[in-house]
Amino acid sequence: MTAALATFNQVFRGRRLALLGVGWLIIVAIAVVFAPWLTPYDPLEIDPVARLTAPNAEHWFGTDHFGRDTLARCIYGARMALLIGLGAVVVSLVGGTLIGMLSAYFTRLGHVLMRVVDVAMAFPALLLALVLMTILDRSVTNTIFVIGIVYTTTTARILFGMTLKLKNEVFVDAAVVTGAGHPSVLFKHILPNLISPLLVQATFIFAFAQLQAAALDFLGLGLPPEIPSWGNMLAESRVYVTRASWLLMFPGALIILTVFSMNLVGDALRDAIDPRFKDDIAGV
Amino acid sequence: MFAYTIKRLLTLIPTLFAASVLVFAFIHLIPGDPVAVLLGDTATPEEIAALSAEMGLDEPIYIQYAYWLGNVMQGDLGRSIFFQEPVTRVIADGAETSILLALMTMVWIVVLGVPIGVIAATRHGGWIDQIASGGAMFAASIPTFWLGLYLILIFAVTLGWLPSSGFPSVFDDGGLANLRYLLLPSLTLAAPNSALIIRLVRASMLDVQREDHVRTARAKGLHPAKVALKHVFRNALVAVAAAFGFTFAALISEAVVTETVFSLPGIGRLVVESILRRDYPVIQGVVLVIVCLYLVINLIVDLAYAWLDPRVSLK
Repeated sequence: MTAALATFNQVFRGRRLALLGVGWLIIVAIAVVFAPWLTPYDPLEIDPVARLTAPNAEHWFGTDHFGRDTLARCIYGARMALLIGLGAVVVSLVGGTLIGMLSAYFTRLGHVLMRVVDVAMAFPALLLALVLMTILDRSVTNTIFVIGIVYTTTTARILFGMTLKLKNEVFVDAAVVTGAGHPSVLFKHILPNLISPLLVQATFIFAFAQLQAAALDFLGLGLPPEIPSWGNMLAESRVYVTRASWLLMFPGALIILTVFSMNLVGDALRDAIDPRFKDDIAGV
Repeated sequence: MFAYTIKRLLTLIPTLFAASVLVFAFIHLIPGDPVAVLLGDTATPEEIAALSAEMGLDEPIYIQYAYWLGNVMQGDLGRSIFFQEPVTRVIADGAETSILLALMTMVWIVVLGVPIGVIAATRHGGWIDQIASGGAMFAASIPTFWLGLYLILIFAVTLGWLPSSGFPSVFDDGGLANLRYLLLPSLTLAAPNSALIIRLVRASMLDVQREDHVRTARAKGLHPAKVALKHVFRNALVAVAAAFGFTFAALISEAVVTETVFSLPGIGRLVVESILRRDYPVIQGVVLVIVCLYLVINLIVDLAYAWLDPRVSLK
């Protein structure tokens, strides 16, 4: 615990903005866990009498065209944001790490796998996501999967470069000489050195995933429309934007704050990691 | 340089080939009979039989691919179900809007991104640098469509200065004045991409500043502005040139959203509407065109990079 605090202090010392970012992310986490206790309203409950009510004492963030409470939907939307962000991080880090590490370690396999990655990277990110969503149905799992796949390629390329650097280090030679097998060298000796850059990459993927998910929702190709996500709320607000600007303002501000905070945290972490890997990870 | 050009061209071919296989496979991955998928719900049995024969559906899959690639090589990307026109014509109709939008966005990126990046680097660590870097990161955190909707709300709805949607061709009435329709969309698209360029210009300027030739220039007693522009900026620009390839890719992706927000008749919106209409031949055609364009632009950028910095081709 003391060690964790010391590391935290080392990363965030003198970075007030990044600390504010951490603070915001903690608030989002609280909203995720305590959503039902934070608002008396059900995010799905329709109230035709109260439709398009401006923010007031009863409905702090106003209501939408069905009279649903915007604050309640924003709070429950945080759950979706976290789910999509973490899901995309897990899919892309697991896939990207395996592809990148194996490709760098086994050169012949790498020739094939990295060409596949090159081809996938020939498709611009959102276009690839759109095409994949054409084949799949609109659902939470598919959205996570699609965004995860898109960032798997970037992660694989980054991990490939990092593993190549580590592969020739003396400690890897030492492990091989003492009789360690391939799995042991890869996962016991190389992988632990990649954990901190992976953590940095995770923050950036989380941030990008929020923007991609919101864009997919807005285009009508992301989460099913009945799910209260920040992106879906913005997509619905488009029609009422001149009459009810709060519908645009609140979910948008939440996305921006979350993405900005994650980017700030990622930036602070990147500055604190092993200088060998600094140039490999591209944030915003 | 010649050898590098040839080598780079040779790596493009397998990538293009593999990408074309993926785009071809796309139609076969959609649940249902590919012919029914391509012709839509209104197709007659005769039409289905005719297209099946043309695509060689009774042949093995690689022969089908060869038929398709043969047609693509001759400029035949199929027929749109919705427009009942060749896909090439549908794409050509949207090209003017998308190309002009991309060009205007690039102008904004250069005009906004490069100077701010240079100023941030020359004031490294100061409050100008902190505002520029923090502002760039903030701009990159804004969803493009949200920014677009807000710009419409402010400049089109409230102030009434600029049109909120659509784009009449510059060849129609109004001529070049029609470009004002692209002002808000191009600013929307430029915001996150300028942010990227600001950070890149700043980072590469700081890198170059640490090099020996810059120290020599300073030691000679050159004016700081001259050192910054002539010695640092010129060298830093090489790294920035490479970033324009990535920026272009980001532009294509985000144009899909921006063109939808501003209802522009471009290729980006065509992709989204074709997906919603299930007009698969158009999706397939547009994706193929964009991927080819993207690969070719990256090739040009790589070659320009090698030309600007001869060390690259020697590696």
